[in-house]
Amino acid sequence: MLSRSPFLHFLTLLLFKQKSKHLGIMSISVVMIALVSAVLFISSSLQQTLQDTLDEQADFTVTRIEAGRPVSTPLAWADRIIEIEGVSQVAPRIHGRYFYAPREESFLVVGIDFFDEQGSKALESLVKGIDLKQFFAEESMIVGEGVKAFLQKHYYKDTFSFKTPRGQFKKVKIYEVLPGSLNLLANDMIIMPIGLAREIFGLKEDEVTDITFNVPNDAEWDNVIGKLHLVDYEIRVVEKREVEKAYENLYNYKGGIFLILYIIALLTLMLILYQRYAMVYSHERKEIGILRAVGWSIRDILKLKFYETMILVMSSFVIGTVAAYGYVFVLGAPILIEIFLGGANLENQVQMIPEVSFGTLGSLFLLYAVPFFAAVLIPSWRVAVIPPKEAMR
Amino acid sequence: MIRIEDVGKRFGEGENLFEALKSITLEVEEGECVILSGISGSGKSTLLSLIAALDRPSSGKIVVEGELVSKLPDLHASAYRAKTIGVIFQHFNLIESLSVEENVIVPLINSGLDMPAIRKMAEQSMQRASILHKASQDVASLSGGEKQRCAIARALVNDPKVILCDEPTANLDRENSLRFIDTIQKLNQAGKTIVIATHDPLFEALPFESRVIHMADGMIGKHGE
Ligand SMILES: Nc1ncnc2c1ncn2[C@@H]1O[C@H](COP(=O)(O)OP(=O)(O)OP(=O)(O)O)[C@@H](O)[C@H]1O
Ligand SMILES: [Mg+2]
Repeated sequence: MLSRSPFLHFLTLLLFKQKSKHLGIMSISVVMIALVSAVLFISSSLQQTLQDTLDEQADFTVTRIEAGRPVSTPLAWADRIIEIEGVSQVAPRIHGRYFYAPREESFLVVGIDFFDEQGSKALESLVKGIDLKQFFAEESMIVGEGVKAFLQKHYYKDTFSFKTPRGQFKKVKIYEVLPGSLNLLANDMIIMPIGLAREIFGLKEDEVTDITFNVPNDAEWDNVIGKLHLVDYEIRVVEKREVEKAYENLYNYKGGIFLILYIIALLTLMLILYQRYAMVYSHERKEIGILRAVGWSIRDILKLKFYETMILVMSSFVIGTVAAYGYVFVLGAPILIEIFLGGANLENQVQMIPEVSFGTLGSLFLLYAVPFFAAVLIPSWRVAVIPPKEAMR
Repeated sequence: MIRIEDVGKRFGEGENLFEALKSITLEVEEGECVILSGISGSGKSTLLSLIAALDRPSSGKIVVEGELVSKLPDLHASAYRAKTIGVIFQHFNLIESLSVEENVIVPLINSGLDMPAIRKMAEQSMQRASILHKASQDVASLSGGEKQRCAIARALVNDPKVILCDEPTANLDRENSLRFIDTIQKLNQAGKTIVIATHDPLFEALPFESRVIHMADGMIGKHGE
């Protein structure tokens, strides 16, 4: 069928025989599309991951402050918070940064209660096939990939010795390493039984680092905040919506860097399209005149140019986006990812979770294809309507 | 049959206005061979391009094979060029990046014929123009004579009733010129109507029946003058 259509035969003939004419424009287009779609892929993937974690986060986190400084929170608060109307899923946590002094690096230590159903369930889904009973019985921890790599670099193979506030060393075994797909958030994380965490942070039996809870009804939020101050005057409340905003701001800031990249890509596109536009007048004017002279109608000419452009636009777009997909989701976006995650603690090998926004990709396609078609079809039409005798001169 | 009635062609406007053709009236019978002769700038090429509907006259009318070509809308003008007319241009006007055969099939691409039929017609046409042996060679690497034979093959591929040639021998040596005249004679014998614009004296005394029309200053002189 394909080889039998004279039109397609001639179209492929022209494309093949005049490939040098298109090569420059095509390769620049492919690079630009790959670059822009790689950034789009990375940002939508990161955004999705952040959104997923935010979704899982509790609506409120409270800590006790002393002279404006967060200190240990009494476990007794939990019982009083439960009594506030509209509050649910109250969970005391032992959770904080542990600084590794010699290198000024820090880990996020999270203590999990064996009897806390939610925490145990989450742990089970994170680490497939974990034997919870055994994990809680031993003095062991589950670490993120970044932590594991860092410890290995400092000659800790299977264990690490934490220094407690009382100046003793606490040796803890590495039970398991978290999967790489969690690296964006759990790279520097250490999960351990709550008792062990309490010991490392020097907390008493009736103390925790903070308490989290949910308030399912948004309308009650402000009301709940008011009542929290009745629990204790020295309370610090962190709302999820504030955290969300903080992430968003950070994201927008990084987005600004990429806005510059988009503008550069757009300018480059305009430049090469202008070149394409001028080429019709210089190189293709005579060819169009010849085709017209031997019996091609204006419609035939535009059809030829339309399909030619479609093949070039489609192939460069597909090549560009597929290359970007491979670069981001298979290779993990080396170099570019640094711009997104720059300044992160510990060396992070983030694994991108494939997340493609087809709406954005579609807009990118239109942004590329529409000017491209215009840059070819408009001058082609203008040349095609002049008398063939003039066009061939 | 070609009927040209009171045709004028003006270029430019105002001070730059130039009358390339002034009230041309001429009839060419079916199967006739007409030689348009005249010095450079006399309007020969302009007249040919009007007959081929490659441009439109400023006034007057042109009727070819019963069709009023001076007033045709684009779609019809294209169909007319594709079916009725074969043009051999002075500078050949071939697509240099394509091969001989690929150039020859160009007029048939939108004809509705399928590829095997088109290939067959192209082969016959290249045979007639004695360029079949160079079918797959790129035009850019052909000699002048070969380019012209390629142009002839392209002009003949749609089996047109009317063949128009603009300075066909201007870029040829004597041997190739004689060869061209031979081809024209065969086409004329096959019943084609032929109009040749030239100032080559070779065409003043052709070995077959023809009519020479002198042009000067955009006008036609008296027959035989
Ligand atoms: N597009 C145009 N614009 C302005 N003047 C034109 C145009 N086309 C042709 N002319 C003028 O019309 C006149 C006739 O041109 P034409 O090409 O028909 O001459 P010709 O007899 O074919 O000459 P030659 O033997 O050199 O080919 C010339 O003076 C030419 O300059
Ligand atoms: Mg001329």
